[in-house]
Amino acid sequence: MKFKMFKGAVAALALVGATSATAENWAPEGPVSVMIAFQAGGGADTMGRLLAQELSERNGWEVIPENVTGRGGAAMAEALLDQPADGLAIGITVSEAFTYNIQAARNPTYALDDFTYLSTITGSQMGIIARADRGWTTLADVAAAAQAGEDISFGAMSQKLADAAYVIGKALDVEFTTVMVKGGRGGLNGVVAKDIDVAWAAGVQTPGIKAGDIFNLVSAEEDALRVSPDAQMLAEYNVPFTFGVKFMVVAPGGMSEDVSMAYQTAIAEVLNDPEGELNKMISRAFAGPVVVQGNDLRAMLDEGYAEAGALLEAASE
Amino acid sequence: MSVLEYVWAGVLAVIAGPAAFEIFGLGVPITVLMVFGGFVIGIVGGATPGLAGPFLMAVSLPILLSIFGFTPDALLPVLGFLVGVMKGATVGGAVPAILFNTPGTPDAMLTTFDGYPMAQKGQAGKALRTAHFASVSGDTFSDIVLFTCAPFLAIAVEAYLGFGEKAALILLSLAFVAAVVGASPMKGMIAAFFGLFVAAIATGEDSYPRLTFETDFLANGVPLITAVLGVLILGEVLYAFEQMWRDRRVEKIKEVQQEGDQRLTWAERKRLFPYISVSALIGTGIGALPGIGSTLAATLGYATGDRMHKGPVKFGDGTPEGVAATEAANSSVSGANLIPVLSLGIPGNVGAVFLILAAESIGGFNPGPGVFRFTTSEVNPELVIAFGLFTAMMLANIMNWIIGGRIMAACGVMSRIPKQVLLPIVLLLTLTAIYVQETDFNAFYFAFAFAILGYLMRKLKVPTLPFVIAFILAGNLETSIRQAFAVSGGDSWFLFKSPLSILFLLIAVGVIIFFSRPKKPAANKAIAAERDS
Repeated sequence: MKFKMFKGAVAALALVGATSATAENWAPEGPVSVMIAFQAGGGADTMGRLLAQELSERNGWEVIPENVTGRGGAAMAEALLDQPADGLAIGITVSEAFTYNIQAARNPTYALDDFTYLSTITGSQMGIIARADRGWTTLADVAAAAQAGEDISFGAMSQKLADAAYVIGKALDVEFTTVMVKGGRGGLNGVVAKDIDVAWAAGVQTPGIKAGDIFNLVSAEEDALRVSPDAQMLAEYNVPFTFGVKFMVVAPGGMSEDVSMAYQTAIAEVLNDPEGELNKMISRAFAGPVVVQGNDLRAMLDEGYAEAGALLEAASE
Repeated sequence: MSVLEYVWAGVLAVIAGPAAFEIFGLGVPITVLMVFGGFVIGIVGGATPGLAGPFLMAVSLPILLSIFGFTPDALLPVLGFLVGVMKGATVGGAVPAILFNTPGTPDAMLTTFDGYPMAQKGQAGKALRTAHFASVSGDTFSDIVLFTCAPFLAIAVEAYLGFGEKAALILLSLAFVAAVVGASPMKGMIAAFFGLFVAAIATGEDSYPRLTFETDFLANGVPLITAVLGVLILGEVLYAFEQMWRDRRVEKIKEVQQEGDQRLTWAERKRLFPYISVSALIGTGIGALPGIGSTLAATLGYATGDRMHKGPVKFGDGTPEGVAATEAANSSVSGANLIPVLSLGIPGNVGAVFLILAAESIGGFNPGPGVFRFTTSEVNPELVIAFGLFTAMMLANIMNWIIGGRIMAACGVMSRIPKQVLLPIVLLLTLTAIYVQETDFNAFYFAFAFAILGYLMRKLKVPTLPFVIAFILAGNLETSIRQAFAVSGGDSWFLFKSPLSILFLLIAVGVIIFFSRPKKPAANKAIAAERDS
């Protein structure tokens, strides 16, 4: 996967060179609405707004970000599908909205094939966090506390991560009390305020970790976490899944090739500029720029779709 | 960063922020300019009967958003403008009350009792100066209380309140707003529950949009700013049209020739001081409770002042003490009203509603306990914004001390704008503001639906504020209830698990029962004034 991502990045870069001529031909005829599927004020929201701002500054497009939140990205996906695929509406969301959520919903309101997948932005830094003063440094410590009779509440910002908490609990032979929280910030706030014991966090925890208030107990990514390189991996607990997500830009399905290319080029330009605000921000709080576009992105989502199916199965056992 | 460094960073964010333009090589910071602009517009609008602060804030918010965009840089200019409007409208409201016996803002109702008789005696200038002096003093006092109390309250809330207690606290504030605003707690509760219901459309955690009858129209939920503007402003416009038609035969008020010494000497100011300080305390105390408007504060301040007063001219016959007692009380409400906003994220009045809407729309600043986290190693940007907001409020106060009185004196002319000219402008501006915000024709359908709702609520004497506040708090309430339920491990008594949340819920029930009891005639009058506001 890592190599594949690299390949995607290289391909994207090549595309920048190859298609800049056509990209310059297309410009939106009117304000572009960027629908952000995240709560205002969080890290993912900031990321979306910075992308909107830089797309606007670099290309002279009028770009208006708005938050369309709710139901794990489904509200945004539906709103986006109502718009024509003319490049005047794009959405910023998370990969699991198209992999896990579609399969978990009783009556899914959209399908994987309904969208044009433009580009990833960055990857999460998904970890399980706890207050440093709890004295826990690994998941095993949490499991020990739970086995000693302590009721451990586990904050999750999506249904997938709630299932993940259950699957991890099963691997550790304990049962967590899952609490749904609003975004990673909701989980972080809950942990800091001692309202919940541990929580998922996808990058929002970075400042707290650097300050020493918060501890990453485990990395749920395929790689070590950038801010806590020593944190254990989930695989060490016999959990056969990883729970990292990709933040990505999507558009309604059936977008014409030149519009889609114009966006892919413009987004890659923003992401790959080390002086850009967005680049700095995602390097600080998330996995840094990750540029997977076009068919590679679709292949990545297909793979995620299959993995999410397996997770759902494991969670229903 | 230490506490003082945070305060300094907040001050710098305002005075050393991005410059709007340069004069003689010195940049004029955009936030200072916006505070000033808001302040002047606030006074002018407050002095215009039929406009008032909430309307100005409501209309300017979407327009400001479209100018400044949605980056955190936009927060201080936009919030600064709104704060300026809030403060300007508070002093401006006294102008038509004194000159023409028609309060520009509902808060200024009681200013007419002494201000207008003074004007008839030829002392309009003195009355205006008294009103300004009392208003600014009360406002400044209330702001200082806000700056010192809000952070500590927020930290206490963050440390001691869990999910269950937070849910109970929101329920308590809703009960308070429902019970206190308007004539009957039951009507207030109807409005609040209806607000919760409307907010429930297409929200929640299910993977399908609930309560939408599977229509596309409702699938994205009810647009927040449109609904709020529809109920608060458009409903009021419709109601005012009807009032205008009913009042078509009412006689115009004549102006009286002004004469004699209009100045307010230091000796006179000193004599007013006891009234101002008592009223400021009353106003601040009342303002800190969500839902109680400034009219009640003015009523209490006036009544207390009346009891203290022993001079030759009685209250109601045109005495400066009467003007001072009222204005100090109603002006000290606005700062204190932000205590629940900044410490809990719970708006208590219409002005606060728009500050929360602004913060939510722009992003990067979520009023609530999380703001006042004094992190030392990493900068907490929200805290810098909070201190920037305080700086903007202080700036508005300084402007008010220096030039507020002069602008007020020049605003007497605003009261002469006839309503048949003003109301269509209000209507058009509001619709423009809604379209700027939503850029979707569906928004107009929502706006008209909520306008009719707001009109009917006014006709049926159902208060609109509980509806609006419940609508805004519904999401927080649902989240904290869900979380409290989950953390309790699915216990159905999850709201009654801690003494604190039981206490909050008991107070909520107590508030409803207390305000439902039969009232004395005097209290009814004050409530009627509040309700009609």
